[in-house]
Amino acid sequence: MAESTDSVLAVSQLGKRFGDRVAVDDVSFEVAPGETYGLLGPNGAGKTTTIRLVCGLLRADAGEVRVAGTPVGATSTAAKRSIGYVPQEIALYPDLTARENLRFFGRLYGLRGTALNRRVGEVLELIGLSDRATDRVESFSGGMKRRLNIGAGLLHEPKLLVLDEPTVGVDPQSRHAVMESVRSFGASGMAVLYTTHYMEEAERLCDRVGIIDHGRLVAEGTRRELVAELGERDRITLAAAGDLGVLAKRLRGLAGVDRADVKDGEVQLLAADGRRLLPGVLEAAERSGLSLRSVEVDEPDLEAVFLHLTGTALRE
Amino acid sequence: MFGAFVIAAKDLRQRFRDRSALILGFVAPVAVAALMSFAFSGVESFHANIALVDNDRGQIASALRGTLTGPELSDVLTIREASDDAAARRMVDDGDAGAGLIIPAGFSAAAVGDRPIGLRVLGDPDEPLQAQVARAVADAYVAQLNADRLAVHTALAAGVPESRGAELAAAVAKLQSPESVQAQPTGYRQLRTASYYAPAMGIMFVLFAIGFTARSYFAEQRTGTLERIGAAPLTRGVVLLGKSLAAFVYSVVSLSTLAIVSSLAFGAEWGPPAPAFALILAMSAVLVALTALVVATARTERQAEGLATIVTFVLLLLGGNFVLLSQAPETLRRLALLTPNGWALRGFTDLATGAGATSAIVPVLVMLGMAVVLGAIAAIVGRGRLT
Repeated sequence: MAESTDSVLAVSQLGKRFGDRVAVDDVSFEVAPGETYGLLGPNGAGKTTTIRLVCGLLRADAGEVRVAGTPVGATSTAAKRSIGYVPQEIALYPDLTARENLRFFGRLYGLRGTALNRRVGEVLELIGLSDRATDRVESFSGGMKRRLNIGAGLLHEPKLLVLDEPTVGVDPQSRHAVMESVRSFGASGMAVLYTTHYMEEAERLCDRVGIIDHGRLVAEGTRRELVAELGERDRITLAAAGDLGVLAKRLRGLAGVDRADVKDGEVQLLAADGRRLLPGVLEAAERSGLSLRSVEVDEPDLEAVFLHLTGTALRE
Repeated sequence: MFGAFVIAAKDLRQRFRDRSALILGFVAPVAVAALMSFAFSGVESFHANIALVDNDRGQIASALRGTLTGPELSDVLTIREASDDAAARRMVDDGDAGAGLIIPAGFSAAAVGDRPIGLRVLGDPDEPLQAQVARAVADAYVAQLNADRLAVHTALAAGVPESRGAELAAAVAKLQSPESVQAQPTGYRQLRTASYYAPAMGIMFVLFAIGFTARSYFAEQRTGTLERIGAAPLTRGVVLLGKSLAAFVYSVVSLSTLAIVSSLAFGAEWGPPAPAFALILAMSAVLVALTALVVATARTERQAEGLATIVTFVLLLLGGNFVLLSQAPETLRRLALLTPNGWALRGFTDLATGAGATSAIVPVLVMLGMAVVLGAIAAIVGRGRLT
């Protein structure tokens, strides 16, 4: 796989074995600046091992990882300066305060004095814990710990932020907050590598998704590209009062509509990109003089893609 | 390199914030050393209280009383006069005296006669040593008396008139044995109990820190903080150095604090500061190596705890931290030299008894050698553990 010159992370033919077990097998992908790349796969698929190889926590048996053009290795330190690592566990010291935790991890990345104080203040502000800066982490709620856990990976303003299942065991409110944070990192130009086994997270957050199973990257692309590979179509269902046949006929004339039929008192429409088509569908309904009662858009999800590619459901 | 100091500072901050670590490293060694010193304070100096009954009131009995109450024995003996045998028995039974010595009536006269009368000793089963001292004093005096009697009889046999017998006996009684064993100064002070148990207890508690440190390593592994540190731009050596540095500083501060407090509070002697500190540094280096070995060998927090407990207690038992090595059997004294704490105690003991600063050189070198060997084994066994 040819490495593009502007990618922050370039993983090339990466391989790792533990004894006879192949944990990562010939995995290649790239992440561009500002892009959020999701590694999606069930537990034990090789996501965490891939992440640990990317962060230089394990020595690869084959292949190469480059971050900002610098090779990563278990013994090298240069590339690690460009990586912010957020492990799956709450990797913080409960007996230290939030500020002490951040200062410690900031120092490990070479931050000192005024620069360290400034970044600690900024990160505390970013994660909404400025008012709890001097409290010990052991007194924090699960969500606050999660936010601080992520904050500790941001101190040195990394080019690549690596998050390993950051929402595991998190309540819905905190999960939402974590996902909003991750979305903002990508928007700020940071490259984000995000592992999850929650399909919904991958769909909502990731610009591109790599599906990993049994250590192999079985597919990658945008959600739409992956779905298109599968040959599935979006389904739009319209419930309306009036002559549904007229509406179906009008809809068949719209560009991008593969099929439109009246079925069970509703109009059902198949298209490659249902969301993009939606304004045209609503306009067609209005022109047909129908009064719409409801419109539903069903998009084939990554779960279906995963099932198709691996033969197993994502949560199995 | 700076990363090592950052890690060490963080570890020390956590440790000094942890009450159990503070108690283990500072409060407990001082308290236990004080307790041991007070409990065994009688071992280093002995004093007997003896009740004396003089039923004789004769010249030789008077000489015996003079000997017992004289300045030569004042450090060892305190003589309390009792009016009669029953009073002496009561004093012994009541604990006012550890033993009783009864001079029977006719004791002086018998000294020049043909049938000598022996001194009687009253003992207390709770104070066997005092009774032994009283018996030894009595035996020694009777032996001297027999020698005197022999001298008098020899003089009489040689033709001295019997009318001068009493005069001869009195003159002989004033004589002291011409030969006696005198303790000569050797340049070494007597080892005070506090001077032994202060470092012994200090070392014991820093050895307990092996388990504490090893457990905290595995706890960091479990919570993911160790992995997070590993993801930082630090070499593995810097991470290990930081962890070791924290354990080293904790041990040095703990032992140094104990040295200062025990010296000021209960008079423990640690010898000249420089060699004593060298011993503390060397012992702390071994502690770091032992901790690294436990971490390298164990696979889980529970294993580390068990292994550290075994290592600690074997070292403590063999090294002589619970018993005064100078009073221990030869085998134990030899076994102690297989352990770093045994060498440390030997060094501290030598310094405390005035053997001079150079006496610490060999213990320091041996301990540093042990640290290097143990550290090398730990490095080989634990290769690749951090990642």
